[in-house]
Amino acid sequence: MSRFIATAAIRGARAIVDEADKLLTDAVQKLGPDTPVAFPNTTYFLPVIYGLTAHKVQKLSDLNWPLQHAKDLLPPVPRGNLWLPYLGETLDAGMATLYAEEIIEGVRWAKGEQPEVRNGYKLNGPIDDVQMRAWGIQMVDGRMPGFAAIIGAAKSNEVAVKIVRELQSKGQLVFLIGNNKGRSIIDQLLESGVELGYDTFTVTFGTDTVSAIYALGYATRAGISFGGFKAGDARANLLYNKFRCFAFALALGPVDDLKYATAAGAINYGFPVIADTAIPNILPTGVTKYEHVVSLPFDDIAGKDDLEKAERLVQRCIEIRGIKIKVAQIKIPVAYGPAFEGEVVRKENLRVEFGGKGGMAFEWLQTKNLDEVEDGKITVVGPELDDAPMGSKMPLAIMVDVAGRKMNKDFEPVLERQIHHFTNGAEGIQHMGQRDITWIRFSKSAVSKGFHIKNIGDILHAAFHNQFGAIVDKIQITLYTDPAKVKDLLEQARVVYQERNVRTANLTDEAVDTYYSCSLCQSFAPTHICVINPERVGLCGAYNWLDCRASYEINPRGPNQPVPKGAVVDASKGEWEGSNKFVYEHTNMAVQRMTLYSLMDAPMTTCGCCECVMVLLPETNGVMIVSRDDYGQTPSGMTFTSLMGTVGGGLQTPGMMGHGKFYILSKKFISKEGGIKRVVWLSKNLKEEMAEELKEVCEREGVPDLMDKIADGTICTTVEQLVPWLQEKGHPALAMDAILQ
Amino acid sequence: MPVEIPVEKWNGQVHQVKLGGAGGRKELVVGGENTLPFLKFEGNIPHRPAVAIEVVDQPPQGWAEPLVKAWGNVLQDPAAWAKKAAEYGADLISLRLRSAHPEEGNTGADHARKVVAAVLAAVDLPVIVLGPEVAQKDNEVLVAASEVGRGQRLGLGDCLDKNYRTIGATCLADGHVAIAKTPIDMNLAKQLNILLSDLGLPLDAILMDPTTGALGYGLEYTYSVMERLRITALMGDKMTSPPMICTAGEESWRQKESKATAGVPQSWGEQEQRAILWEKITAIGLLNAGANVIVLRHPRTVEDVKAAINKLSA
Repeated sequence: MSRFIATAAIRGARAIVDEADKLLTDAVQKLGPDTPVAFPNTTYFLPVIYGLTAHKVQKLSDLNWPLQHAKDLLPPVPRGNLWLPYLGETLDAGMATLYAEEIIEGVRWAKGEQPEVRNGYKLNGPIDDVQMRAWGIQMVDGRMPGFAAIIGAAKSNEVAVKIVRELQSKGQLVFLIGNNKGRSIIDQLLESGVELGYDTFTVTFGTDTVSAIYALGYATRAGISFGGFKAGDARANLLYNKFRCFAFALALGPVDDLKYATAAGAINYGFPVIADTAIPNILPTGVTKYEHVVSLPFDDIAGKDDLEKAERLVQRCIEIRGIKIKVAQIKIPVAYGPAFEGEVVRKENLRVEFGGKGGMAFEWLQTKNLDEVEDGKITVVGPELDDAPMGSKMPLAIMVDVAGRKMNKDFEPVLERQIHHFTNGAEGIQHMGQRDITWIRFSKSAVSKGFHIKNIGDILHAAFHNQFGAIVDKIQITLYTDPAKVKDLLEQARVVYQERNVRTANLTDEAVDTYYSCSLCQSFAPTHICVINPERVGLCGAYNWLDCRASYEINPRGPNQPVPKGAVVDASKGEWEGSNKFVYEHTNMAVQRMTLYSLMDAPMTTCGCCECVMVLLPETNGVMIVSRDDYGQTPSGMTFTSLMGTVGGGLQTPGMMGHGKFYILSKKFISKEGGIKRVVWLSKNLKEEMAEELKEVCEREGVPDLMDKIADGTICTTVEQLVPWLQEKGHPALAMDAILQ
Repeated sequence: MPVEIPVEKWNGQVHQVKLGGAGGRKELVVGGENTLPFLKFEGNIPHRPAVAIEVVDQPPQGWAEPLVKAWGNVLQDPAAWAKKAAEYGADLISLRLRSAHPEEGNTGADHARKVVAAVLAAVDLPVIVLGPEVAQKDNEVLVAASEVGRGQRLGLGDCLDKNYRTIGATCLADGHVAIAKTPIDMNLAKQLNILLSDLGLPLDAILMDPTTGALGYGLEYTYSVMERLRITALMGDKMTSPPMICTAGEESWRQKESKATAGVPQSWGEQEQRAILWEKITAIGLLNAGANVIVLRHPRTVEDVKAAINKLSA
C-alpha cells in the first residue's frame, strides 16, 4: 500500500464527507427535511447507498443515516510517523467518499442544480434505468466489455478525441467526468465537435469529480438487475462488478485528494485506476483483478506522437483491466468458415504455394511478455505474392507472438497446431502439416479476389482472440518471405521444436499431481470417462494431457476437468484414490476403479473411439494390438469392428482395452504386465507407420530386435499359427511371468 | 399370496419451477417429484405434467392440413389463437415468434412487443415465449418480450450455449424462467445449467429442453437422454434437476408420417388420424421419460394427452 495514496485518499475522504455534511445541513435548513430527493427515471433511489446498504433515500432527512455511516467509516489521517497504513482503511475512506458524493448529488437534485449545464450545454447526469438495462445486458453477454470513466482533461483536444475514439472502437462505454484546473474532457470533446450521448456510447456526468458517483451508481444498479442478488448485499454487488463488469477509471491530469479518495472508492468495486501522470503505483493484485493503481505518465509512453501515445495508453488500460477483445469479423477478401476446411487446391488452380516438396515453410508460435506484443500488428517481411510467377513456390515463416496473463509456455504447441485448422477455413486456401512440414496453397481464385500473404495474419489474429481469448490477450503476426531470413529462423525454430519434444518426453506422470478427464463421448457412452495422464494420450489420439489442460483453462466448465491424483493405491498399476473417486463419480457409479498402467486389473474403459484395441492372447502369454485402420482378421478370432462390440461402450473388460496408438511408445505402456515385451502381434500398418519410434522404444526397453519377433496380419491371423511362429523367433513374452494369474 | 412391490429410494428431487403467478397470471408449478414419472407408490409427485399449446405469431407456413383445419381463422391472430388454446384446455401457452426469422418476415423488437402484449392481454395462463431459432434474432425479440412481461414470470427461450448470457441475464433482470435447450446430450444439458447458475440464475428458474426427436425420428434417443438426466437428478445431482420441457407437437408434425396425404401405403390410413396418433404417441412417450411440460399442436391431441396424464396420475 502506498502511504502517499492512503494519506491523500483519507484526507480527501474527510474533506468531502465534511462538505456533504455542511451542504446537507444547509439544505435541510433552507428547504426542509421533507424535500424530495431523487435521481431521474430510476427505481433504485440513490443507487450506491441503496445497492450497498438497502437504505432508501426519498427525502433530504433520509440522507442523515448515510452521512453518519460515511462518518463512521472515516479512518484518521495517517500520522507522519505511520509508514504502513492499512489498505482496509483506505478502502473504507473510499466508501465514505462514495456515500458523501452521492449525498452531495442528491442534495443538488433536491435543489434543482442537476443535471449540470455548462456553457449552454446540458450534461446527461445519471443514466436512466431503461438505458442501464439495455447496456447492462450487453455487458453481461459480452457484447460490451465494460466502461471507462475518464476523469479530468487530456493533454490536448486531439488527445482527448483519440482516447475516446480508441475506447469506442474497443466497444467500451465512455463516461466523462471532472476537470483539470477548470478544463474538462467534456469541453475538449465538445470543442472538437464530437457527438456525445447514449447513441455514441459517451455519457457526460458532470465537470467535477463528485459526479463520478454516477458511474458507480450505474455499476451498482447493473449488479442488482443482472447479478441475481438483492439491494443491500454489498459483498455480492462488489464481487459481481469485480468479475463481470470490465470497468476502469482513467485519470487525466494531476490527481488531487478527492480524486484519490474517489479512486479508493472505485477500487472497492474492483475497478482499477490508471493515471496519465506520475503518481505512486499500487501494483499487487487483490481487490482488483490485476493492478490497483497504475501510473503511465503520458509523455513517457512510447510513440512517435501524442496520438500514438494516446492509443497505447488505451491499450494499457485494456490490459490492466483484463478486457478480452473479440474480433467480430475476419477481414479477408474471401469467404471464411468450416465449409472450406476440407478444400483441396489442385495444381491447375494453384497460384502460389509455400512448403511442400522442395519448399521451405514453417510455423512457430511463441509466448512473449505483454509489453513485447502489439496486438493486431501484422507484418510481411519480404516480398508479397504479387510478383511471384504463376504456380511457383515461395518460402514462408509464420511467426506468431502471443501474450497473455494466463498464457503458459506449455500451451505453445497446443495453440500452434490450431494454425492448420484456422487457415484452412479460408476459401481457396489449403493448409497441411504443422511445424516445419507446413504446406500451404493459395488458389488462383482466392488471389484474384485479393487474398494476400498478410491475410494469414488477419485470420490468425481474429481466430486466436475468438477461440483462445481465455488465455491469450495480445497477438501479433510476422510473415517472412525473404529466403535468407526464413532459413535463419527455421534453424532457430527447429531448436525449439526439439526442445519441445524433449520437454514432452520428460513430462512424466510422477511430475504432475493432476490428470485431466475427458467426457466428450458420454453423449453416446454414458458410463465411460477418459482419464488422461502425461504419459498416456487419450484413447482417440486427439487429446493429450497438455491439450486437456489448455482446454480446461479455456473452458473451465467444459468436458476436460482436473482429476487430482490423490494418494497412491498401487503405483505399479497406476491407481490412485483421486482418480478412482473421480471415475466413480463421473461414470454414474458404474466404474468403481480404474488403473492406468494395467490391462489385467480394472483397465480403462472405451467409448468407441479408440485408435487401437489390445487383447490378451493367453496361449502366447502376451497381447495383440489391432489398429482401427486394419480391416483384417486377428489372432483373437475377431476383427477390430467385432472387438469394439466387446470393449466399447464403457465396459470394463480385463484383458481387453482400447487405447491411442502413441500409448504403445509410452514408458507406462501396460507397465504392470511388462510393457512392450508383451506385444506378440501388431497391425502391419502401425508397424510401418511408427517404425522408427517403435525401434527406439525397443532399444530403450533392452530388446532391440523385438520388432522382428512381433507378428502381423501378413504373417498369421490365428493363434494356432502364431504360437509356433513366436517359439521359432524366441519371443520374450513366452518366457515371462504368467500374465494370467 | 401378497406381492411386495420393490420400492426405490432416491436422495434427490426435481426442482419446482413456477410459471406465472404474478401480474394477474395464473400460477403453474411443475416439477418437485422425488421419483420417476408416475410412480406414485414410490415417492411424492406434487405436480402433474403440464400441457402447453403452441401459438405462432404469424400464420404458420407449411403446417399440415389437419392442423390448419382444426384452428381455422385464429391462425391469423395470435391473441385469438391463445384464447382458443385456453378454451381447449391448455395449461399454458407457448408463443413462437417465428416472424422474426430473417427469412420468414424478419420482424424485430417492436413487433415482438406488440404480439407478446396482445397474447398476455388475451389469456391469463402462464406464457412461454420462444424466439425464431436464430441466436441473434432470439436475443433481440426475447429481450423485448421480457420487458413486456416483466414480473409475470414467463418462460423465455431458446436459451442456448451461444446466447445463455443474454437470456440468463434477461431472466434475472425481469424475473422469468429460462428454457435451456441443448442438443440431446446429458453433459451439455448439465453444462448449460452450470453456466446459467454461474450467471446467478437459480435452478428454479430453469426448464431444460433436451431437444425432442419425434416417433421414428430419434424419440428413443431423446427418451434415454431424458431418462439419464432424471435418474442423475434423483440420485442427487442438482445440476440436472430442473424440470424438462419437450416440443412434441412441433417435432411430430414436421415428419412425413404427419404430412403425407398421397403416395403412401394404404395401411398408413387417413392422414388426420395418423398425424394425431403420431403426436400423441410421441408426447406420451416423452411424458414417461420425465417431461414436465409438453408442447402440443392439435386440439385433439391435447384432449387425449390430458386424459392420459389423468389416468397415469390417478
